[in-house]
Amino acid sequence: MKEIKQEIKKGITVHQIKTNSFKTDLVAVFLMTKLDRETVTKNAIIPMVLRKGTKSLEDSQEINKKLEEMYGAGFECGIDKTGDNQVLRFYIETLDNAYLPEKEDLLSNVIQLLLEIIFDPKTENNAFKEEYLDSEKEKLKNILEGKKDDKAVYANLRCQEEMYNGTPFGLYKYGYIEDIEGINAKDLYEYYKNLIASCKIDIFVSGNIDEKKVLETISNNENIKKLEEREPNVQKGNAKLIRHEEKEIIEHLEVTQGNLVIGLEINENSKREKYVATVYNAILGGSATSKMFQVVREQHSLAYTAASNFLRHKNSIFIRAGIEIENYEKTVKLIKEQLEDMKSGNFTDEDIENAKTGIISMIKSIPDEQETAVTYYYGQEVGEHKLDFDEYESEINSVTKEEIMDFANKISVNTVYFLRD
Amino acid sequence: MYLIGETEVKSVPDGIAHFLEHKMFEQKSGVNSLDTLTALGVSANAYTTNNYTTYLYEATDNFYEALDEFMDYVQNPYYTDENVEKEKGIIAQEIKMYEDYPEWQVYLNTLKCLYKDFPIRLDIAGSVESIQGITKELLYLCYDNFYTPSNMAIAICGDFEPEEILGEIKKRITNTEKKEVPKRIYPDEQDAVFEKEKCVKMDISNPLFSLGFKDKPAEDPVKRHIAINIILNTIMGKSSKLNKELTDEGLILGPIDFEYEFAENYAFGIISGVSRKPREVIKRIKEELENQKKNGLNEADFIRNKKKLYGSYIIEYNSVEDTARLFLSEYFRGVVGFDYLEKYKEVTKEYAEEILKDLFKEENFAVSIVE
Repeated sequence: MKEIKQEIKKGITVHQIKTNSFKTDLVAVFLMTKLDRETVTKNAIIPMVLRKGTKSLEDSQEINKKLEEMYGAGFECGIDKTGDNQVLRFYIETLDNAYLPEKEDLLSNVIQLLLEIIFDPKTENNAFKEEYLDSEKEKLKNILEGKKDDKAVYANLRCQEEMYNGTPFGLYKYGYIEDIEGINAKDLYEYYKNLIASCKIDIFVSGNIDEKKVLETISNNENIKKLEEREPNVQKGNAKLIRHEEKEIIEHLEVTQGNLVIGLEINENSKREKYVATVYNAILGGSATSKMFQVVREQHSLAYTAASNFLRHKNSIFIRAGIEIENYEKTVKLIKEQLEDMKSGNFTDEDIENAKTGIISMIKSIPDEQETAVTYYYGQEVGEHKLDFDEYESEINSVTKEEIMDFANKISVNTVYFLRD
Repeated sequence: MYLIGETEVKSVPDGIAHFLEHKMFEQKSGVNSLDTLTALGVSANAYTTNNYTTYLYEATDNFYEALDEFMDYVQNPYYTDENVEKEKGIIAQEIKMYEDYPEWQVYLNTLKCLYKDFPIRLDIAGSVESIQGITKELLYLCYDNFYTPSNMAIAICGDFEPEEILGEIKKRITNTEKKEVPKRIYPDEQDAVFEKEKCVKMDISNPLFSLGFKDKPAEDPVKRHIAINIILNTIMGKSSKLNKELTDEGLILGPIDFEYEFAENYAFGIISGVSRKPREVIKRIKEELENQKKNGLNEADFIRNKKKLYGSYIIEYNSVEDTARLFLSEYFRGVVGFDYLEKYKEVTKEYAEEILKDLFKEENFAVSIVE
């Protein structure tokens, strides 16, 4: 697997990932813009409105018919946060030309369709179609009201909101209910035109592809031709946290299981530290041999889910556990003991080796899924520190116990969040 | 319940197969096999379905070292009073996690409505109460009876030489005793659905609904499965008239999902979605089914959805993990995955319409709602 990258216009980059491991090709387009309280809800609703209809495909029923004709090509769109930016994501996965019962160039058609959905929407009188916007406003409202439906996800989200309160990352990626009312079809269309003229655009095509042809298809696409060069409106680096002292938040909902999430702040940000953090997190809660799994789950039987993850772009770690409500204090105490053990070096060389082996195996399996590979390369594109597979592997291998202990001492508990009945 | 030999009937607590799966990794040496595999850099896991338990690992390196451990632990159980007791706390949290998932509740309640006695109406993990009755003796009993080579299968997918790998596997089989597989005893299940509706309240923003339909095991389940998929896609899939109407009227908040499950001795389907007026949506779905029964399926829609299905069957072979899982699951229900790519050609509009008329009848439906 290899990535070829071409900036076809300033701010617009085509990434091609050539691989013959799959029966499908994946086309992905990412639009990145600054996370901002003013625009967060508008950005969230745009992909939803775009999938409702294009210039040539009247409504979503027509779009879906077209996708079914293309042997059930799968279209997906969504919204994400990457660092202090918001990303509008669009994907189509389609059968590779080699697996079609009849010879045709499905990939080119799929690329054209995806670009049409994103850049040539259905409009009326220089505005989005009113009824499409209305139905999507309703759906967005539902998503926002449904924030609490998955308790584990909600707890994680709430802990992040509390920890990053007052900074862009503290915003909810889907925006806010109170904004919805004020969005109208004309202003939103104006905003959308401004967005596609100023955001960072990355187009990924992965599969057993003809690189020259793919590049031509994209470069000669009418919708791409219409886009101007831009200095992308994105946020580099992260806003500083406002609160550093530890805060405990307990929230009540109708639940049978308690959800505990602990946000850790990392007080250092260098390239080397990212690798140390990756190894640290693997030992703390990143695998079945980790302290969270072994101590909290296996030794004390406190939880089924007991893990941690490192947010590379935000330089923080979140620990999570689903527990019996009355075991809250006991579990927090036990987790804090694990953090102390990490500081004092109370972990073995074997723990480090296991962590490294796990991480390296994960790096090696990135090419085994197209979406994972695309996400990895996009992370490289927008991350502060670039690294390739080999460099990644050798950096991980060289992490020492002293570095991990040093790193552990630069971590502090920022937020302890507990969702209970 | 199951039968050993001719007469010996054994009954075990609900959730024991899943419990056994959790405990299978425990080793006499005190080292957990999951840790050993993780330390080799392979990703290992296990899961239990209504019909079988699967142990799996995925490796980029150390494939054979992992195979040593993998085949060793599935052939060597080690249960103690202490390690069995300890697991009860972990599994109780797993059960409670599922209790808070509205999607799981709406699904399981559909099965509870469709089936009166058949055990697929039970939670695979059992209940917090039922697992209390599990002991090391019961685990050994289940292990000895069910974990015999004639009741096991292994699927491997990747870049290797089949002959070579077969030899490597044979070398690692230590238990070669030919033992009769106990016969599972299933209660006789009535044809009719057990309850017409189950509705539970949960702390969620929008109700979830599910419309289940009870089917009987078919002579050619693959062909039937394909036909049902095409029918449901045509009538309520993303490009259907019904989907457009319900979306435009704000009655559904996302596409209608559907699935069809079958094994040797049961078959059912579930149509599900999210709606503020779930009963209204269910009424409309039933009306549209009646309407299509009367007028027949639209030819162009039928052909297009058939094309879509072809793509989806190929995509199933995109990942090594999915492919291996697929072959195992199909082995245990007596079909071959590639059959779908052949059988799909045989499914005609007439064949589908016959199933439509015969299966989608009021008497086969049951409703589950979480609101």
